[in-house]
Amino acid sequence: MAEIQKTWRDGALRLSTLPLLLLMGLFFVIPLIMTALLSFQGTQYYRLVWTWDLKVWTDVFSQIHYWTIMWRTLMMALVCTVLCTILAIPIAYGMLHRLSRWSDHITLLMVFAFLTDAVLKTFGWVLFLDRSGVLNGTLEAIGFPPAAVNVLFTPNATMIGMVYNLLPYTIFTIALSMARIDGDLVLAARDAGASRLRAFIEVTLPLAKPGIWAGAVLVFVLSLGVFLEPKVMGGGTSPLAAELIRQSFETRVNWPLGAALTLVLIVIGAAALTVFGAVALWQARRVAHD
Amino acid sequence: MTDRMEKRIADVLLYGSVIAALIFFYIPIATLVLFSLTKSRFLSWPIPEFSTRWYGELLADRDFWSSLGNSALLAVLATLFATLLGIGGAFAWTRYKFRFQWGFRILTFAPLLFPQLLLGVVMLLWFSVLAGWLNLSPGLWSAVIGHVIYITPFCIVIISVQMQGYDNTLDYAAEDAGATRWQILREITLPLIWPGIFSAAVFAFLLSWGNFYITYSLSGSTRTLPTFVFSGIAVGSSPIYPALATLTFIPALVLIFAVDRLRKRATRRRLSRIAES
Repeated sequence: MAEIQKTWRDGALRLSTLPLLLLMGLFFVIPLIMTALLSFQGTQYYRLVWTWDLKVWTDVFSQIHYWTIMWRTLMMALVCTVLCTILAIPIAYGMLHRLSRWSDHITLLMVFAFLTDAVLKTFGWVLFLDRSGVLNGTLEAIGFPPAAVNVLFTPNATMIGMVYNLLPYTIFTIALSMARIDGDLVLAARDAGASRLRAFIEVTLPLAKPGIWAGAVLVFVLSLGVFLEPKVMGGGTSPLAAELIRQSFETRVNWPLGAALTLVLIVIGAAALTVFGAVALWQARRVAHD
Repeated sequence: MTDRMEKRIADVLLYGSVIAALIFFYIPIATLVLFSLTKSRFLSWPIPEFSTRWYGELLADRDFWSSLGNSALLAVLATLFATLLGIGGAFAWTRYKFRFQWGFRILTFAPLLFPQLLLGVVMLLWFSVLAGWLNLSPGLWSAVIGHVIYITPFCIVIISVQMQGYDNTLDYAAEDAGATRWQILREITLPLIWPGIFSAAVFAFLLSWGNFYITYSLSGSTRTLPTFVFSGIAVGSSPIYPALATLTFIPALVLIFAVDRLRKRATRRRLSRIAES
């Protein structure tokens, strides 16, 4: 498809970009700058005072408590990313190559589940995993002791919820990149004597790498900000960074602190994005090169 | 390992994982539908007796109706703005070439890579300042802006995908025939990318309808369905929430299937046109 060269004097270009740029500038870029500025202020008696100092930042860097939570958040995000990626690969591949006749319907079912209100789905998990919930009730009926599975209100439940809410992102991105793979390449590898597994590992997986990386990045970044799952399914016993940020804004009304912690999380996310992005770009180049 | 055996194992693994994924995705949804039909006040399994009593209780709840109204208004406004901006954005992303295009792409894609809660919090800070200057408090208006920022990138991506493979010669032909730019847009371009616009709009509506994080941060004291449910289950669970869930599944299902039908029809039409020429 040929692109149409435009200059910024062009009316159509202005019409299609300026409203969007204005909106993003006013309500996305300015708020980010505001947050950065706010982290250099202080609070007194629950009110913001414009002090312009580093007090909040020295606070953030000296309190081990914040970093334990940040570390926990980072680890949860990493585990969630790995799980979502590993689980999504056979699902995406199976959808395309085993259940291809039904893949449209399966995609629709997944999209519907994905677009359903996350609060309700998380609540549904609570009802399912509860001590007297569907899972334990059913297990008891077939002879297990009462409350056999006691996972609700633990970090494991949080992880189930996170994987549940984020898995669609990896399935969709990986399926997209797998669908573009030329089937003849796999056949050629098979012809040359490669076993199914080898053909998959040496042809399909490398070619699907852009999708795998893209999905992993999305899941990682989004899982840094989860708040619903640790609160509702994890029972609030081991809070993650988002909860900490929410508390500093709402409960403690310490906006500078909240702003500083928000920035820390944004920096962690941005750093991960840069690393992931560099690797993905490198991978894509190599795939294009081969 | 023999080839037969390898295929067997692969089959089991692949079929198994797709089926397991579907079951996994529908566990909480099925649980909610089941519990919506309980007669008991307590949400414990097995369900002692079935009834539709909680649907009645839900429909009699005033807060439910006001949250439903707010959700609908918010979703309609967010869909309208996000889709319109998404159409413009998609043109700039895929059809045009201009200076600073990469900057434009990154800026308009960035909100999608932002944890939603942070997006909400960061915007809340700014809205609180604005609200102080303009003497109004955060409410539905700020939630609409937040949703538009978050949802527009999704719309851009969906419409851009539809624009891939768009044939520019159609535009040139129309131009040669004396059509104005506005006519070209209205009579050629938009009809061709219409399936993409429609799916973007539906996607936008559902994303906004089910959004919790941004609404929670930005809507002030206005409640939508997700925040209504959240504040309800924080206090204690009640069977009205499963009933609410089940009721809200129905319009979403209808919408998603409508999009699918439309998309298939568009593909069929395109295929038959190719066959004709």
